[in-house]
Amino acid sequence: MIRYIRLYANFLRFSFSKAFEFRIDFYFRILMDIIYYAVNILFFKVIFLHSNILAGWTEAQVMVFVGAFIVIDALNMTVFANNFWAMPSLINKGNLDYYLLRPVSTLFFISFQDFAANSFVNLLIAGGILVWTMIQYPDPISILNLVLFLFLILNGTLLYAFVRLLFVLPVFWTHSSRGLDMMFWGFARFMERPHQIFYGAVRIILLTVLPFALMASLPTEVLFSSSPWPTVGYCVLLSCVFFISVLGLWRLGLRSYSSASS
Amino acid sequence: MIHASALSKTFQVHKKSAGFAASFKSLFRREWLNKQALQNVSIDVEPGEIVGLVGANGAGKTTLVKILAGIIHPTSGEARVLGYKPFDRHNDFRRQISLIMGQKAQLWWDLPAEDCFLLLREIYQIPHPEYRRSLDYLIEAMGVKDQLNIQIRRLSLGERMKMELIAALLHKPRVVFLDEPTIGLDLSAQMAIRKFISDYRKENKPAMILTSHYMEDIEKLCKRIAIIKEGQIVYDGGLSKVIDKYATQKILSVAIDVEGQPMPSEKDLKLAHVQGVAIDGNIVKLNVERKNTTTVASSILKNFKIKDLSIEEEEIGNIIEALIRKDKK
Repeated sequence: MIRYIRLYANFLRFSFSKAFEFRIDFYFRILMDIIYYAVNILFFKVIFLHSNILAGWTEAQVMVFVGAFIVIDALNMTVFANNFWAMPSLINKGNLDYYLLRPVSTLFFISFQDFAANSFVNLLIAGGILVWTMIQYPDPISILNLVLFLFLILNGTLLYAFVRLLFVLPVFWTHSSRGLDMMFWGFARFMERPHQIFYGAVRIILLTVLPFALMASLPTEVLFSSSPWPTVGYCVLLSCVFFISVLGLWRLGLRSYSSASS
Repeated sequence: MIHASALSKTFQVHKKSAGFAASFKSLFRREWLNKQALQNVSIDVEPGEIVGLVGANGAGKTTLVKILAGIIHPTSGEARVLGYKPFDRHNDFRRQISLIMGQKAQLWWDLPAEDCFLLLREIYQIPHPEYRRSLDYLIEAMGVKDQLNIQIRRLSLGERMKMELIAALLHKPRVVFLDEPTIGLDLSAQMAIRKFISDYRKENKPAMILTSHYMEDIEKLCKRIAIIKEGQIVYDGGLSKVIDKYATQKILSVAIDVEGQPMPSEKDLKLAHVQGVAIDGNIVKLNVERKNTTTVASSILKNFKIKDLSIEEEEIGNIIEALIRKDKK
């Protein structure tokens, strides 16, 4: 474990020195994400100009939810996004070869090697937005609920990464990831809406096979809940199931990996 | 140290004719072809030995190397390297092997070489004093001390390849796979890398497999070669024995005495059993059927006034080239 932390520290060091070299990209990425955050906050603000409640949540509660999914998005953009974008190309062009030779987990290596240092500034901004929305919340929040909420945000970030990987790894067989990528981004929009607004099969799907409701919506529910434990247990269990599925798919994919002729 | 027995690998490739109609048709119905990259390949390599793996493009050299390095899974057969099954990719196995591919970079383009080496030190968990010793030795041997702090992307191909070799050998692997390490390099860089590989082998005694299209790499570095053709090993043995086994010709080198007589024409020199004639000034080189060398030599002595005559073996590179290209087993 300590070995992986040290390795990650090296990834961080190199990623920061690389990001500072490309200044324009650095600023643009910050600007792009700030616009994304503003649009999402304004979207819900506009809804609450016409209604006092949305699927059982007050405006203050929905704003905390917005803060939560913004943080999850920023964490993913910072920690995983660059790596997951590069993965299909690594697999298709045979550039996975050298990673497979290293005596560390290849999946860890290719999932974490590129830390988006420019998005790190956005992560700080997103964290600030979450704190701001929670300060705006009028009722008291217990320490336990707060800790569980923060834990589930981290859990949601990992779950988001696992689901993303399940949409990336089929590239071992399909050799083109664009269709699945577009599909993922379409589904990922569900994370940005409280799950209570959906009904029937859609809601069940969002709570199980495409668990976007477990990323920000259920954690926010836990923050305001008087009996949070069953939800916490379910979220952790589903993350474990998805993690095991990712490992299984990865191993299967490696057996089909054909590299590329040199 | 390296053991492969009856290894086979089949790739499934999608066959598609050119044109829009064929592309559209392939959306609904596809034709798949099984491409046999390796067929029943067996090979053993001992510590300190460099085996030259030679073959035409697509013969299966890189596939074999990648199976032995644990990158791809064989369709059938067994491979053991350092006692491990390569595809299990056990960390202890991966800590003791290395693969250098001349056509693929392993170093991180945006980092200076020294930062890449530090990252590799972390990955391979090389203790600091050992890392320093190993790095100093490799830098000295490759002569790249002044390039260590330059980003990889800004290095010349030759300099980059030297850095790639350092990166691959920092952890002192016991098994090294070299896949065309001199490809695209100029002559001086090729020579430097050959010398380095040779010195490294003498000093560290790893088991090595070298693939190269440059016969000079093979001739300078390998005492043993394996010739691979259409996925099968057609020869595995001493480099010098290739001549005994496969050379069909000898070269008669004749210096004609042209004083007081005209230089004989190519037609005059095309005697029975002579398969090729090359004339350079008064020096004539005749490609002669091996079994008839003495007959042709005595005809030359009888028919022409000569200053000197010698019998040489065919160039080993040419024999191997012929073996790879022609259907000759």
